[in-house]
Amino acid sequence: MTDFPRKQLISQRCLLVVALGLAVINTSIPVHAATATGLEARVATLESELQELKAQLAQMRASDAAAAKPAASAAAAANPAGAATADGASSALPPGATEARPALTWFGYGELNYTRPSEDPSAARADLGRFVIGTGYRFDERTRLESELEIEHAVSSAGDPGEVAIEQAYIEHELNGAARVRAGLFLIPSGLLNENHEPTRYYGVFRNIVETEIIPSTWREGGVGFQGNTTRGLRWDAGVTTGFNLSKWDPASSAGTQSPLGSIHQELALARAAQPSAYLAANYTGIPGLRLGASVFGGGASQRQPGMPGSRVLLWEGHARWQPGAWDLAALYARGHISGTAALNAALAAQLDDATLVPEDFYGAYLEAAWRGRVGRSWPLIPFARVERFNTGSGYAASGSGTPPPARADQTAYTAGVQLEFAPGVVFKTDYVDVSGGSAGDRFDLGLGYAF
Amino acid sequence: MLAPAPAVIAADYLSLADAQRAIFPDALRFAAVALQPTAAQLKAIAALAGVQPARGRLAAWRVFGRDGELGFFFTDEVVGRQDFIDYALGINADGSLRAPEIMSYRESHGGEVRNAAWRAQFAHRSNGATLRPAIDIRNIAGATLSCEHLTAGVRYLAALWQLLLRDGAGAPG
Repeated sequence: MTDFPRKQLISQRCLLVVALGLAVINTSIPVHAATATGLEARVATLESELQELKAQLAQMRASDAAAAKPAASAAAAANPAGAATADGASSALPPGATEARPALTWFGYGELNYTRPSEDPSAARADLGRFVIGTGYRFDERTRLESELEIEHAVSSAGDPGEVAIEQAYIEHELNGAARVRAGLFLIPSGLLNENHEPTRYYGVFRNIVETEIIPSTWREGGVGFQGNTTRGLRWDAGVTTGFNLSKWDPASSAGTQSPLGSIHQELALARAAQPSAYLAANYTGIPGLRLGASVFGGGASQRQPGMPGSRVLLWEGHARWQPGAWDLAALYARGHISGTAALNAALAAQLDDATLVPEDFYGAYLEAAWRGRVGRSWPLIPFARVERFNTGSGYAASGSGTPPPARADQTAYTAGVQLEFAPGVVFKTDYVDVSGGSAGDRFDLGLGYAF
Repeated sequence: MLAPAPAVIAADYLSLADAQRAIFPDALRFAAVALQPTAAQLKAIAALAGVQPARGRLAAWRVFGRDGELGFFFTDEVVGRQDFIDYALGINADGSLRAPEIMSYRESHGGEVRNAAWRAQFAHRSNGATLRPAIDIRNIAGATLSCEHLTAGVRYLAALWQLLLRDGAGAPG
């Protein structure tokens, strides 16, 4: 693995020949005049030097071989003797080992699910929820592409519910060993799930409610971001990106009550960018098993569009995850605020009776506990439970002289389930969700997820 | 059209010499060891080490200090999420581990495995071949795959040491 200069290599080979010669001579001359102890010491010294030279020669040979044929071949293939030897540099590749490191890499994940609402079994659905293929490509030693292409709900056409979306497409450049910059479409470092949204990395058939309705996972924006790490476990993120667009709010749809920010995100699809947004996040993982973090995202939401009152979005959250032994415990709190909604809501209410209004405040929090058990020797069997409290309209701005619209009632959701990882990267899940306020929203779910 | 380009390294943190010094500061000499296991031995190593991620090149050195043999030094490559992590590990003569060092990391996410506190979990462990992710070696949330795959890689090296190198099988000469 070491790269020796050619001249040095030749001279060291000569030295080795001389040493071998000396060793042979040494073993053949009479020893009558020398004491046994003195000779033993000399022999030991020569033997030690010989071994060192032999090792160096073997290393040089390996270097030569590596230069002639990059990524040394599987030495594992054939050694009838079978034992480890010590004559040279080493390359023991297990079966299936990759010899070269390609610049192009592939990854992917997917999830299939079945959900059966308790209140209305006729609304049961089976779905290929997500099918995602991702690629990474290293352009040079510091610059790489990361991308993800997603198909939701199996079929995307005018008459089908599916959609095709680019979830990530950015170029990342390593500034030094501790910091990097990225530009393009990338995930906002908010919460525990948004950057770790593969089905093998969260509990439950579906992503949790708070990190879907309050933090609009999978939440991505276009822009420029910086990220740094310290060896003591602090990661920081900061960037300037596109943001939300309130002109996408549909007063005739309930989408805004399901996820206020999810209904006005732009996902870099001809995104209006008159007003930039910015984010800041910090995560501490310096104690093994512990993650503590927080983030804030803010920016304009009216995008200076004619007739749109000035408005800004602010979303902040804090999270913690603690994994002592087999336990996996998590907590998160997120709160959002949209300013300047009074005038907008007045206009929406004038357009449409019973219009869905834009909330001024919304929030969510959850606690989650999971326990990593095992079936047999290696199949993780993980029961988990989660309680979530959330409100997608916890406050509305007063419009003009009128009283503000009433806030929506807080909701509580209890989720309990179990998942079995029956192969590395493949998980079978089942859970039951009980949402407060009657049986609406209660459901039984089955799911199959994978990630590679 | 999609033929892989020549291998390049994205973020080098330690050279081979740096890693050797970091893991065995008390070493005077590193002697390369040629590992040429039989198929049966590889099968035994895989069985002992358990489920493994995609693996790359592996190299080993026998390490000598002032008072004789200190143990073995390894460099190894395992896939993190989608690309290889290069790391180095030391195994003392008694089979206990020295904390691994990350030599190169090539991905956007998961680089937290460089955390000194996370790597320190491996030090002094004598059950290297059977280390359990999350249980014996706590994960870093957000870098789970890198943690689990590096733990699996360490298991492989420890199993290899146990089955091939222990008892002086890898002695030079």
